[in-house]
Amino acid sequence: MKIHLDPRTKLYFLLLANLLLFFHVDTKTEVMLTILFFIPFFFSERRKTGIGFGVVYVILLAVEYGMVFLGQSVLQNFVSMVLVGIRMIFPCLITGAYAFSTTGIGEFVCALRRMGITEKVIVPCMVVIRFFPTVKEDYRQIKNAMALRGIAVGNFALLRHPAQSLEYILIPLLMNANNVAQDLSVAALTKGIGIKGKHTSMVQIRMKALDLGYMILCSLPFVLFLGGK
Amino acid sequence: MNKQLITEDKKLKIPDLISIGVYTAVYFVMVTIATFGSNLLLPGFSYVFLPAVSALISGCIYMLMAAKVPKFGAITIMGTVVGLFLFSSGHFVLSLIAGVLCSLLADLIGKATAYKNKLWILASYLVFSFGLMGPVLPLWFMKDTYIAKLEARGKDAAYIEGVFANINQGTFVIAVVSILICAVLGGVFGQKMMRKHFEKAGIVS
Amino acid sequence: MENRMTMLESRECSFAYPTMEENVLEDISFSVKAGECVLFCGCSGCGKSTLLRLMNGLSPGFFKGKMSGSFETIGMKAGEVPIEEYVPLVGSVFQNPKTQNFNVNTTSELAFPCENTGMDTERMRKRVKECAKELKIEGLLNRSIFCLSGGEKQRVACASACMLEPELLVLDEPTSNLDEKAIEDLRQFIARKKAQGVTVVIAEHRLEWLKQLVDRCFYFEQGKLSKVWSREEFHQLTIGQLYEMGLRAIDLKGHKEKIERKQIEAGEQTEIAVSVSELKIGYKKQKEVCTISSFDVCHGEIVGLMGQNGVGKSTLAKTLCGLVKPLSGKIYWRGKKASGKEMIKHSFMVMQDVNYQLFCESVKEEVILGSRGEQDYKVILEKLDLLELEERHPMSLSGGQKQRVAVASAIMSGKEFIVFDEPTSGLDHLHMEQVGEMLELLKEQGKAVLVITHDEELAADWCDRVVKLYL
Repeated sequence: MKIHLDPRTKLYFLLLANLLLFFHVDTKTEVMLTILFFIPFFFSERRKTGIGFGVVYVILLAVEYGMVFLGQSVLQNFVSMVLVGIRMIFPCLITGAYAFSTTGIGEFVCALRRMGITEKVIVPCMVVIRFFPTVKEDYRQIKNAMALRGIAVGNFALLRHPAQSLEYILIPLLMNANNVAQDLSVAALTKGIGIKGKHTSMVQIRMKALDLGYMILCSLPFVLFLGGK
Repeated sequence: MNKQLITEDKKLKIPDLISIGVYTAVYFVMVTIATFGSNLLLPGFSYVFLPAVSALISGCIYMLMAAKVPKFGAITIMGTVVGLFLFSSGHFVLSLIAGVLCSLLADLIGKATAYKNKLWILASYLVFSFGLMGPVLPLWFMKDTYIAKLEARGKDAAYIEGVFANINQGTFVIAVVSILICAVLGGVFGQKMMRKHFEKAGIVS
Repeated sequence: MENRMTMLESRECSFAYPTMEENVLEDISFSVKAGECVLFCGCSGCGKSTLLRLMNGLSPGFFKGKMSGSFETIGMKAGEVPIEEYVPLVGSVFQNPKTQNFNVNTTSELAFPCENTGMDTERMRKRVKECAKELKIEGLLNRSIFCLSGGEKQRVACASACMLEPELLVLDEPTSNLDEKAIEDLRQFIARKKAQGVTVVIAEHRLEWLKQLVDRCFYFEQGKLSKVWSREEFHQLTIGQLYEMGLRAIDLKGHKEKIERKQIEAGEQTEIAVSVSELKIGYKKQKEVCTISSFDVCHGEIVGLMGQNGVGKSTLAKTLCGLVKPLSGKIYWRGKKASGKEMIKHSFMVMQDVNYQLFCESVKEEVILGSRGEQDYKVILEKLDLLELEERHPMSLSGGQKQRVAVASAIMSGKEFIVFDEPTSGLDHLHMEQVGEMLELLKEQGKAVLVITHDEELAADWCDRVVKLYL
């Protein structure tokens, strides 16, 4: 069964995950909430990602418990703190991964519009999503071009002359970025991106009962923790 | 009429927004690379060096954008969009807040000299670079929680706290100093690239 | 004809960009009636693209410049009406398939113009389905544009331009990056729109595919509209006349036959530079693999590599240059088995987008970079007609000049095997000939030259031998 949650619900998860960090919640509450965050993964196309995250989380928990009782040399505490640190930002990572991997661009844009965010931020966001993959492709082309010219060949060549390498990679990349910016502007303008008045969305988003229910369910452990404090 | 035309020209228009988007995408790639890079430097504490590494390699992009879109709002939007993406991909919410605030401040500094004065733009870049401190901040929260956890288990937390106070203050100073140095280096490099390439090629005047 | 509405009306229109001193358009007057299909042709820089920008409202608002006279599109005066008012009436398709889709998702791209005009969701969904069905791109819906071929991207762009059912379609060199099959798709698209009564204006260098479509043909020369031909007059132009005007051939039959011959006939055999045996190419992740049992390029020979998009031409070229590892099989350099690393040392590739391979702040620096010394760089620049540009920044040069700078750098670093990836896409005949002459120059120096191309004229007139790859 597939369940599709509203992007704003996912945003709420993200906020909750952040609040966990703010309020120093105890591990019990954190684990409960994390489990709740995991569940939507299993009703999406990203089941495998969910399982992966779950396994790592359990391992982190286990290792941490083992470490804390072992002793307290500086090194041990240091390692253990790093592990705790990673585990603590895990709820953020999970909710982030869920929000990122299960939200379509159309939905994302529609949600931003519904939340009243200005087009001045939405348009650049759309362009970032559009252009991001191009950067990777460009980089590959530039690497090829450099190899053919015999510039920075070899494993650590880029690090041997960092400033030079940065120049050789960034300049063609940015030159191309300028061209793309112009072409995209032309394409978008002729398709009416600058028309004043309301822009509609083909993708529709709607808060359903399930969204609300799940949001309340996720708030519960948190409220209980704050209440019991 | 003429006056109206000038104010109209200072507003961000669609092509400006698209240019900002393109530069932000490249900047975001740089931030991603910086994350990996600083991870190699100090695994686990990569966020401490993330702003510095990123400041070191992104100067070009910042300078190019300041030259191509010398209007108030461009830098703020860049910082905000990066913050928004960081936040929605699971980074700490302070990334968004720090991103918005620092870029707004940077924008104001740039605006003061109409994005023309090299030194002021460099200063603006310095401030902008602090916007990536956001992801570093959870470290401080973590320390508190960790120590609270030790105390709850009846461990001698005072000693640990002493150790971590040093580490934390140390990391904070290191982070700030490294950002300052790297932002200056990166910014100067970016301005050099502007003269060497973009001005010579006639892409910016 | 007389009763039909006037779509385009240009009265003594002149235009100048702020960066240039001379006018790009000089005193242009013409009118186009509803339902006509008009071709704009002429050498690069003749002003046809600028006219198109006046038509779809991009100039003088976005591409700024000084204009005199008047230009009206469906009653809208250029310079007085903002581009937004053009949107529902004029659909535009551009040259580069990579950069003319604003959205990542194809369905979103189709919906994009509707969203911007505030169409309600139900109607929008219906319209997307309708349009996709009409243009037979249902199979391309809901895909990422990064998974589409250039031809497919161009079809999505065409569909998106038609979403608001415009009365005028403006196409600016739409086939520059397309193969034969994609061009045929585009031809059918235009024929359909024309039959529906849509006015179509196309600026194009390749003329053959438009032969049966156009009603009139405008020839521009240095910013002036110097000739107007009816379809009949256009068909009667001889190849000599066309070439004199710098235009491409209208009839490519002769060229195609010549290519057939060049596939069988071998040129004079000299020393073999690159050869392969049982080479399997491809990227591991992709399933499509192409096997090449034997293939070679000799010193002092220009070999054309043709075939449909996606058949593996670029992959083969990259494999030969050592940029991509072959899945299996062997590559030989002068008869000796060579590894990828060795091949990189001998080879150079002039990419389709040459911007990626220019790194330095001046032409001089560029050709010296990675070379064995700077002693004779002036001789090479002289030969490639670049000497006066020595101090210029490579990025400030024209496309052809950039290409020649890349070639100069290849010669300077002593490369023997030089590959060109679509060197003549989007070029008029005059500039194509210049590329041909450059190939000839390399040939005279004994280089082995491989040219990936869709361009029949380049293959027929300048290649010694043609190899076609099939799926």
